[in-house]
Amino acid sequence: MIEIRNLYKRYHNHHGSNWVLRDINLVIPDGVSVGIVGRNGSGKSTLLRIIGGMDSPSRGDIVRNARVSWPIGLAGGFQGSMTGRQNVKFVARIHGAGRDVTEIIRRVEDFAEIGPSFDEPVKTYSSGMRSRLAFGLSLAFEFDVYLSDEATAVGDRAFKAKATQAFKERIGQASLIMVSHSEGILKDLCQAGVLLEGGRATWYDDINDAIGTYHDMTDKKRA
Amino acid sequence: MANELTAKTRNSRSPLRVTWSVWHALFMREAISRTMADRMAWFWMLFEPIALIAVMIAVRTFIMGGRQIAGADFVPWMIVGLLGFMLFRENMMRAIGAVDANKGLFAYRQVKPIDPVLVRCFLEGMLKTLVFLVFIAIGSLLGIDLIPDHPLGVMFDWLSLWALGWGAGLTLSVASSLIPEIGRVVRIASLPLLIISGVILPLNYLPHSIQQYLLWNPIPHGLESMRLSFFDGYRALPGIDMTYLWLWALSLLALGLILHLRFAQRLKAQ
Repeated sequence: MIEIRNLYKRYHNHHGSNWVLRDINLVIPDGVSVGIVGRNGSGKSTLLRIIGGMDSPSRGDIVRNARVSWPIGLAGGFQGSMTGRQNVKFVARIHGAGRDVTEIIRRVEDFAEIGPSFDEPVKTYSSGMRSRLAFGLSLAFEFDVYLSDEATAVGDRAFKAKATQAFKERIGQASLIMVSHSEGILKDLCQAGVLLEGGRATWYDDINDAIGTYHDMTDKKRA
Repeated sequence: MANELTAKTRNSRSPLRVTWSVWHALFMREAISRTMADRMAWFWMLFEPIALIAVMIAVRTFIMGGRQIAGADFVPWMIVGLLGFMLFRENMMRAIGAVDANKGLFAYRQVKPIDPVLVRCFLEGMLKTLVFLVFIAIGSLLGIDLIPDHPLGVMFDWLSLWALGWGAGLTLSVASSLIPEIGRVVRIASLPLLIISGVILPLNYLPHSIQQYLLWNPIPHGLESMRLSFFDGYRALPGIDMTYLWLWALSLLALGLILHLRFAQRLKAQ
């Protein structure tokens, strides 16, 4: 279970500081996968980073009673000058893999299917290759909750199918909190939804309601 | 297939174990990028101080003519001072870059900004110690008197300079990440620091009134003390005091740790 209480977040910059997230109160039960929807810049990734412990809230608390992954996605997570293999090795080591490191490397290499590029520096990767590696890497560890920040957005068709498949096989043991703009995948993998608007979050027990409200909102704005 | 992909992760590890895993992982990463990334990395590690020493000897011969240093041969005197100074400077400089160079890895909440700084300083000290030992070995083979008269004293002075560099690195790694200009100023200041620390030119020749101010700088305390441990008959700068150096080192270490605690989140978020 992940509980978020009165969470506020702002970033300081030269032009003052606006609240990105305002008074978020959420309880995410075990085993429920949640899709986060909202416009660009509405704080989706920030919320995910805070849940993942990469960033800390300006005010409020977050309680994690589960093993939570790092936010899997395009931004961050890899050191560009290191090769794919070295990055995987590094992450396996900080997660205390010990002797399993070689096994984890082999599995990630198999899953990512990026061939000889696995031994090239990550900065030379295309975004698709990065996301393959990131995804394969996160699946090599057993988490209760996986955080995905558009992790599958840039993958090709085969990879998307593979990733979706891999997650479906984990339902029951693990859940997912994902930010995505592809609604098909959200509907496919998530049960509940969170809509972020103006820094505030609304919980929907059904992801379809969240997406529906989000559509109404954007349509109204356009009209 | 998913289960096949799963590897065991310990359910909950103690904070100490997590930190230890992070240090181990970072150490392996830093050690590889430091020694293997560049084809010539090992060569430069030795050649850089050799070239620097050669240049300094040329400069000194040009400026000072034949004046001697009381109680020590010039070349070993210079090697000891320069390697001691480089131990301090490299620790400080590498630490400044450490936070920035590992930014991509802060995505994992186990990694704190202080970890790469500590690991880098440790690695740098080990490498510099190795280089120093190689210098002593090669120098002795070449007939340069580089065998310390008081090895234990040298070790203590070496550790003191390391601690000083470590403290400066910890403090400046935060300061320069928050205010990038500080990193630039430190880089500019490193050459004058080399001169006023008495690495190339002995401070003994300066008038007492100037010496007093130069002794505010903790580095010459360590360098002169190390030379004294190396060469029994060496006439060191009067007024050197290792307690003063350790006061600086411990204060900087404490300040650095406090700054890292205070600004950990901001360093991560940048």
